[in-house]
Amino acid sequence: MLNKHHMERLHIMFAVCLVLFAVLIGRMVYLQLWRGDYYTQQADGNRLRQSKIIAPRGLILDSQGRELVNNLPGYAVALQKQSSYDPAMLQKLSELLNIPLTDINKQIKESKNYYEPIRLKGNLSPELVTKIEENRRDMPDVLLEVQPIRNYLYKEFAVHALGYVGEVSSYEIEQGLFKDVTQGSIVGKAGLEQSYDKYLRGEDGAFMEEVDVAGNVVKHFDTVQPVPGKNLKLTINYDLQMTLEKFIDQHLAYLRSSGLAPNARAAAVVAIDPRNGAVRAMVSRPGYDPNLFVHGISVNAWNKINDDPNYPMNNKVITGEYPPGSTFKIVTGSAAFELDKVRLDEMIYDGGFHPLVPTMGNAEGEVLGWLSFIKALAMSDNVYFYELGYRVGIDNIAKYAGIYGFGQPTGIDLDGESTGLVASKKVKWDIWHEDWRLGDTFNAAIGQGFNLATPMQLAVMLSCVANGGIRYQPYLVDSILNADGSMYMTPERAAGKHIDISQRTLDYMQQGMSATTQEGGTASYFQSLPRKVAGKTGTAENSHGRDHGLFVAYGPVEAPELVVVAIVEQGGFGTSAAGPIVYKVFEEHFREEGLLPPENAQDNKKN
Amino acid sequence: MDLKRILRNLDWWLIGAVLLLMGSGLLLIDSATHSFAVSTGKAWHVERQGIFMVIALLLAAFSLRFDYRILKNYATRLYIANIVLLVAVMVFGISQLGAQRWIQIGSFSFQPSEFAKVFLIICLAAFMEKRIEWLETFRDYLPVFAYILLPFVLVMKQPDLGTSLTFIAILLGMIFVSGFKFNWFAKLGVLFVAMLPAFWMILKDYQKNRIRVFLNPELDPFGSGYHVIQSKIAIGSGGLLGKGWLAGTQSQLNFLPENHTDFIFAVVGEEFGFVGSMFIILLYMIIIWRGITIALNAEDDFGTLLAVGVTSMFMFHIMVNIGMTVGIMPVTGVPLPFLSYGVSSLLTNVMLVAILLNIKLRDRKLQF
Repeated sequence: MLNKHHMERLHIMFAVCLVLFAVLIGRMVYLQLWRGDYYTQQADGNRLRQSKIIAPRGLILDSQGRELVNNLPGYAVALQKQSSYDPAMLQKLSELLNIPLTDINKQIKESKNYYEPIRLKGNLSPELVTKIEENRRDMPDVLLEVQPIRNYLYKEFAVHALGYVGEVSSYEIEQGLFKDVTQGSIVGKAGLEQSYDKYLRGEDGAFMEEVDVAGNVVKHFDTVQPVPGKNLKLTINYDLQMTLEKFIDQHLAYLRSSGLAPNARAAAVVAIDPRNGAVRAMVSRPGYDPNLFVHGISVNAWNKINDDPNYPMNNKVITGEYPPGSTFKIVTGSAAFELDKVRLDEMIYDGGFHPLVPTMGNAEGEVLGWLSFIKALAMSDNVYFYELGYRVGIDNIAKYAGIYGFGQPTGIDLDGESTGLVASKKVKWDIWHEDWRLGDTFNAAIGQGFNLATPMQLAVMLSCVANGGIRYQPYLVDSILNADGSMYMTPERAAGKHIDISQRTLDYMQQGMSATTQEGGTASYFQSLPRKVAGKTGTAENSHGRDHGLFVAYGPVEAPELVVVAIVEQGGFGTSAAGPIVYKVFEEHFREEGLLPPENAQDNKKN
Repeated sequence: MDLKRILRNLDWWLIGAVLLLMGSGLLLIDSATHSFAVSTGKAWHVERQGIFMVIALLLAAFSLRFDYRILKNYATRLYIANIVLLVAVMVFGISQLGAQRWIQIGSFSFQPSEFAKVFLIICLAAFMEKRIEWLETFRDYLPVFAYILLPFVLVMKQPDLGTSLTFIAILLGMIFVSGFKFNWFAKLGVLFVAMLPAFWMILKDYQKNRIRVFLNPELDPFGSGYHVIQSKIAIGSGGLLGKGWLAGTQSQLNFLPENHTDFIFAVVGEEFGFVGSMFIILLYMIIIWRGITIALNAEDDFGTLLAVGVTSMFMFHIMVNIGMTVGIMPVTGVPLPFLSYGVSSLLTNVMLVAILLNIKLRDRKLQF
């Protein structure tokens, strides 16, 4: 039983509680009565002003470590969060920045974070910075924040691979597309800038100042240093890419002016290393200058890009879906050999059309007579491949297309890749609600009809042929480096996958493609290169105009180092429209290896 | 007991103080969530808090029918239920602000660690009452410590530093009144200091930071130091009479985060000034005074221990919460009884008051 002694304990407890209350009351007297004026001033005049130190984005370097994208110093203007603002000051700010007062008020109202300044405008011009500085005394709540500006050194250079940055939109914030962003943050909007944003962005720092009513800094609190973003080292080689871009522009101009292809304005070219999937060059035309977006693109410039019927913003290497045309004959041929539906020495007769569907024949009605596989592939005979398509059937064509990677994303480290389409009975039913016919199989066998592929998919297919049947995931980023240049990490990549096609079949494909670039093949001008290059022409039917010219190649044949795919929209035949571009890539590649003398004799407009 | 007798023997001081606090709470929550309510067109927080106040008061009134002593019979079951709930929150709980403290049932979510405080007070009172005759030496108290170890560790793991420290406050209050010697407290103190490094190790990083920042708020003027700096500015700028209801610039402009829950006292200070703050503190003093008086006059040791546990808990919450808003206590996330928004804590606190009233109804004076 608790006794009197314990009752005493309760009295002590009450005394302790009273002492504690006295402490609280004392503290309230101190805060509210003794220091009340000081805190009132703090609440009114204010007080704490936080400024962000924006972390510089990581650099983007080429395969040799040369800078492609860096940052220039710049400024952003922001408004310190306040309980109320001087209307005269807001008015002045609105005039200086040329932002309507209602917009500024709206931003103030919508800003949720309680101490984050309200970012009003980034990438200020130097004149504007000076003007704001001059008026600083009248605008104590206005902050100038140092904000690095993204700088794409070579403008259009590799723009579709690099992408561009811009201010994060409220939609992107709401959707949670980026981690740790606030209004006004700069994020990647396309290309590698987007897909590697979390590495490139870095962590912003901050410092806080206590300011009196007049805007004078009374006290400076510790600074949180920004952490710069990581650098990306690409697989793209500056020299190869630059030479290629220049040549493509020149070549497209030539195609247009010579009358060969008056509408040849769009193209997609990619070069990858078949030994690992590294992308050495990637060009999509037309292009655009990403620096335009960094500075907040003008309406005129935007309209010009947006209204261009050739979609400059699209990276046609991964989003352009084209009928693969005759390059697809590799799939049909592989299916036929794998399923033992044809022998290498078997001769098939081309009488200009296929007897089962007499309306379908060769381009321009050619009659090539008795053909073996090698010759049929080299000369890109259609009738021969109709017959193979007939023998293996559409289901098997679709199956082998899948094995080579068609109809699925290649997994390259860019966002927004298209999957293409593999012709099948189901696809036709889904689109047209019609039954499959033999003519559809014929079309599919030569890469027309329902088949659609991106240039990147074609490059992956060709790599499989060139490297003996290993499918690699193509990639643009070789490694991610720390700001000091040391290694941070190698991006995760799927290991190369052995595809289910025999070496014998791949040998036949290689032989057929080698013959293409030999005397009598469709691209015999490749013989002038110092090493043997194997290729395949293609012509993709285009219902909107002239056909797209397509050329795929790998080389050197003995030990392939490069796979190149080029497509010129509305370029006509592949051998004249796309072939020279591929030729140029190999020429530059062999020149780098010292197999050709340094650039001298002006180029090779062979057709 | 007939109604007349109940009404005559209710502790009207206590009831009055609690009702006044709850009424003030509604006003303050309305003010603290004003901008939210305006932007959504619905005073969601106030309505919800108000509805649960009515529910809590009805439950409390109903509970007076039963003699509090029957709680003794349920002590073991309550202890087990407590453990089950705390384990459940670890397994099924949902995380918020970095800690896993909530259990969601349908659209209703609650914080088992709030109810754990009630359970712990009841279980501990029953446990100690049974052994009260044998609590002679320091060793005799070891089972008592062992008894609360498991719930303590479970709450610590959530992590909920505020509630685990509340457990300790309850324990200290109850053993103090049961006659725990002063030099034993010194012993415990030494033990505590010796264990500090180990304790520091199990704290989460954010908790360590809060303590570091408490020792030097300028270490982190953006994070938890920011709360305290802004809260002090709010309270200080309230001056003698305050800026008036809904007129606090700090509170209304969201300079003060979480001002409807943990930092509600800053709204009192800013909008109602020193006078308003003193009024609130006075009401709390009344609650503590009545709690201790009820403990003194309780019919049995169980009643005394219960009342002491309840009073200790209230005192701890008041001191730590207000102390935090005025910058003399670290930020631990302890709500202010009857004022802070929060349904679980409201139900808990009203039930604890009901227990005090119950003890008073059946106290010694009544027998004569």
